Amino acid sequence: MKMKMLWLVLLLASPGLVQAQDIKLPADVEKLSAKAKETVEVTMDGPMLRWASKFLSAEDPEEAKCAKLVANLKGIYVRSFEFDKEGAYSAADVDALRSQLHSPVWSRVVGVRSERDGNNVDVFFKMEDDKMAGIVIIAAEAKELTFVNIVGPLEVDQLADLGGEFGIPKLSPKSLSKAQKGDRR
Amino acid sequence: MAEPLPAEKAADIAESDFAEIVRRHQVMVYSIAQHFLADRSAAEELAQDVFLQLHANLASLKSDDHVKFWLRKVTGHRCIDYKRRRGLPQVALDDVPECAAPAEAGDPLLSRRLRQLVASLPEKPRLIVILRYQEDMAAEEISNVLAMPVATVKSHLQRSLAMLREKMTRALGEVTI
Amino acid sequence: MSVDNDMNRTEDALKRVLRRQPAPDSFADRVLARVAERNSAESGRGHRDSWWCVFVQPLVRWATATALAVALVAGGLHYRQVQYDKAERERAQGEAAKQRLMLALRIASSKLQLAKSKVNEINADQAGNREEKE
Repeated sequence: MKMKMLWLVLLLASPGLVQAQDIKLPADVEKLSAKAKETVEVTMDGPMLRWASKFLSAEDPEEAKCAKLVANLKGIYVRSFEFDKEGAYSAADVDALRSQLHSPVWSRVVGVRSERDGNNVDVFFKMEDDKMAGIVIIAAEAKELTFVNIVGPLEVDQLADLGGEFGIPKLSPKSLSKAQKGDRR
Repeated sequence: MAEPLPAEKAADIAESDFAEIVRRHQVMVYSIAQHFLADRSAAEELAQDVFLQLHANLASLKSDDHVKFWLRKVTGHRCIDYKRRRGLPQVALDDVPECAAPAEAGDPLLSRRLRQLVASLPEKPRLIVILRYQEDMAAEEISNVLAMPVATVKSHLQRSLAMLREKMTRALGEVTI
Repeated sequence: MSVDNDMNRTEDALKRVLRRQPAPDSFADRVLARVAERNSAESGRGHRDSWWCVFVQPLVRWATATALAVALVAGGLHYRQVQYDKAERERAQGEAAKQRLMLALRIASSKLQLAKSKVNEINADQAGNREEKE
């Protein structure tokens, strides 16, 4: 695994942005920034997203698609922690966050636990009226911890385009919705 | 090494100091503009505007390094603004003018093709590639000039390089550059 | 290794084709001429003798009007410069925000791809296990 900056996506829901119960970053996870070699934090609510998207160029294909994706979003929240060594965070830290997603509005569509490389990934969809209203990604890797929350009406197709737009193969929504996998060796 | 400019206010700076600054940095500013816009007359117009703006802001600049940083930043932003305001189309691959510099070593056909490909890059990656290879700037320096995260600069550089390499190989077969 | 060599060659070629280009002839002179032109427009000083302006009223009025017009132009130029600087600052802030936005989207994208690759690994393993049993 590359020793690159670890993208930590943090689920933070500002009051009023999430109709279900708020998702808060546990205090112990917040403190991880003190131990992290590198921390990346992106917190953008609706007004900030609108403002930032004004600077997206319609002439740049990548930026144009980003603008379309962001147009209806209510927030994007990311936290990324990269550590020098393994064991810098505990499973309890991550479980405290996952437990907030055990509600009727959130569905876990991907849950992978890998003892081989220590990389665990969870993807949760929030559905409202049969449409995606948010996504949470938790990637707990050996030396990286990533939390992502994208809040707002989000078409699954847009989510697929998001994956393909940055030079990686498109992510099939069908493969995600079918892939409800539990633990594996 | 930083060379301190005179400490006088803008009104007191001798015209000869400003003239010296122009002569020292005109090649850099003009080259960035020319490589970006692929249009010599537009590049000269833009470069002149940059120096006019510099003259108005000289009092706030403390050293030659600061001047150079400022010139790179403003030239880059003006290039992007110029293109957007005038709605210049993406440069067609056949339209990039030949440069006035002496012939480079290596295959001139390949060099011309590479210039065309650079001119066809999207704005930000194009500017990053120019700063990296014309000015020999590190990713961290580019990120400071463009107020952009270092990771983003590196990402643009990697993708641009990969694309350029792939297109060069595809267009001309397995050619050693 | 071959890819690395190709990349190095590409970078070398880029350094060649993106070498600095000589500025057009007399570029510096043209810049200085424009600066001088702007300075003279902002200075607003006439070239008449003061005693002439004082004793000839129409000329006094004309000179006053000219000075006022020049002051307005100078003020307008200054205002435009201030506005331009403000717009530049705002633009820089907006660009920084845009980059953070795209960074966040890239992060989400990369972790989604990680999830997909894990799912594909599982599917491949399970397919392999089924074949072994058969």
